[in-house]
Amino acid sequence: MDKIRLLPHLIIAGIGALWALPLYVLTIGALKPLSEVLTTPVYVPSTNIDLTTLFRVAGELAPVLLNTALVVIPTALGAAFIGSLGAYALWRATTKLKDVLLVVVAVATYLPYQSAVVPLARFMTERGLFDTLYGIALGLLIFFIPFATLMMLIFITAIPRSVVEAAEIDGAGEMLIFAKAVLPLLGPAFTSVATYLTISGWNNFFIPLALSRTYNNHITLKVFSYVGQSGNLYNEMFSAALIASLPPLLLFIALGRYFIRGLLVLGSGGK
Amino acid sequence: MRITLILFSLPLFITTILLYGFLAWNLYFSFTNFSVLNPDYKFVGLATYLQLFSDPLFQSALVKTLFWIVVLVAVGNLAGLVIASLIYNVASTTWRNILTAYFIYPLSLSLVASGIIWRWLLDADRGIGHFLGNPLQGDAAFWSISLVSVWVYSGLATLFYLAMFYNVDKSQLESAQIDGASKLYTMLSIVIPQSKQSLIISTIFFTLFAIQMFDLPYSILFLNPNTMTLVMYTFMKFTAFYLAVASASAVVIIAISAVMVIPYALLSLKRWIK
Repeated sequence: MDKIRLLPHLIIAGIGALWALPLYVLTIGALKPLSEVLTTPVYVPSTNIDLTTLFRVAGELAPVLLNTALVVIPTALGAAFIGSLGAYALWRATTKLKDVLLVVVAVATYLPYQSAVVPLARFMTERGLFDTLYGIALGLLIFFIPFATLMMLIFITAIPRSVVEAAEIDGAGEMLIFAKAVLPLLGPAFTSVATYLTISGWNNFFIPLALSRTYNNHITLKVFSYVGQSGNLYNEMFSAALIASLPPLLLFIALGRYFIRGLLVLGSGGK
Repeated sequence: MRITLILFSLPLFITTILLYGFLAWNLYFSFTNFSVLNPDYKFVGLATYLQLFSDPLFQSALVKTLFWIVVLVAVGNLAGLVIASLIYNVASTTWRNILTAYFIYPLSLSLVASGIIWRWLLDADRGIGHFLGNPLQGDAAFWSISLVSVWVYSGLATLFYLAMFYNVDKSQLESAQIDGASKLYTMLSIVIPQSKQSLIISTIFFTLFAIQMFDLPYSILFLNPNTMTLVMYTFMKFTAFYLAVASASAVVIIAISAVMVIPYALLSLKRWIK
């Protein structure tokens, strides 16, 4: 009996080790002294912890981390809020056109955003927003808003209609119903959508890459710049990757529940 | 009252119109010869598409993207199913939740960071690639990086399968237990057959992720023909200012995605209009 129970645990530990390996290599690589970087494989830890590379890279990344936070956090929170407004409107709308509208929005949202690279870059260039933080923020928003609306809509349909009907009888307008009756119930949904968008905005590489000439507009671009620059010095690249990964990873640890609920909502579309 | 609702959904309308505008832009310029050589473009009908489909690099990118879909869907679903089954049979709820989150964490890392780590892990000189016979060289690179993408995304399938497993009627499990059925038999004959929905959803998502593949191969091997996908091809033509070709390539990406996206959007509708 014990043997039968042990086997699945051993298998899961084995597969689990494969999931730990990259984080392990990342951490020991970032802390490795230069002399050992040149001579030892990435999976062999050093007995001496060397923080100089990590601190130097952190200094180089600091302004870019700030830029990224300034772009991503308002964008994610804004899109989540605008998404909740749109979702509320769709939920309340009585027109038959609603079904068609939803499909039209969903198709645009789920088509690969990478296919829009040429028109998106030209759109930003024509408005003087190419290679600016505003351009990247706007680029993210264009894709985030329809996406956030669809996610929010699934959360909002879980609210019982009676909540709204009670407010309606009292003669409240849509603005008041939304602010007083619906919004307070959307707290967890808002956290889910905002967490999901913050993590995906922070980690987005393609949009900043397509809309930038330099590497200082977004953290993923900056991390990528070390790949070409550092040659074989993997401690530099790993330091950059580690520092860039900490904010989304910490957010995932703190609000993982909400992030996962967001993923589940995405997958529940067909249920 | 109507006005308020229209105002609420205005940003949604504007962004959706923009997205369709981008789509129309791609379609329009794919019928021109717009490029760095022809800034004063003219209509050329299907000539750009003919040029595109006769480019060996595009053909290779198309085939690689389709293979990427096959690998991610097949191996990703299998990995997700196995990990979900193992987690499902862990007795403690707390541990089940911790393990689920643990297998999802690669989704919270940037693909550039994951790419850099795996690039070194698979390195023939400094990584475990030494024991695997240079997995980033030649044709092997495609299989290696597509398996790295399985590592990134299979947590999502794990989550979807677990969600369906938890929905299985408890009484069915109890009666199987009373009949003395083994855990493996219970999984294979009762639990897994009831998770078809997860298979469908995971397949849709994995197909879309594979079609979008860019960050991971780009941060591991740059624009290497061995791992060049359709998005990478489009990006390459975009940076070289062959905009008509880039647009035509984008239209091909959109057409392939539409096969998955349109049925999914229609399927989702039932849930949204509840």
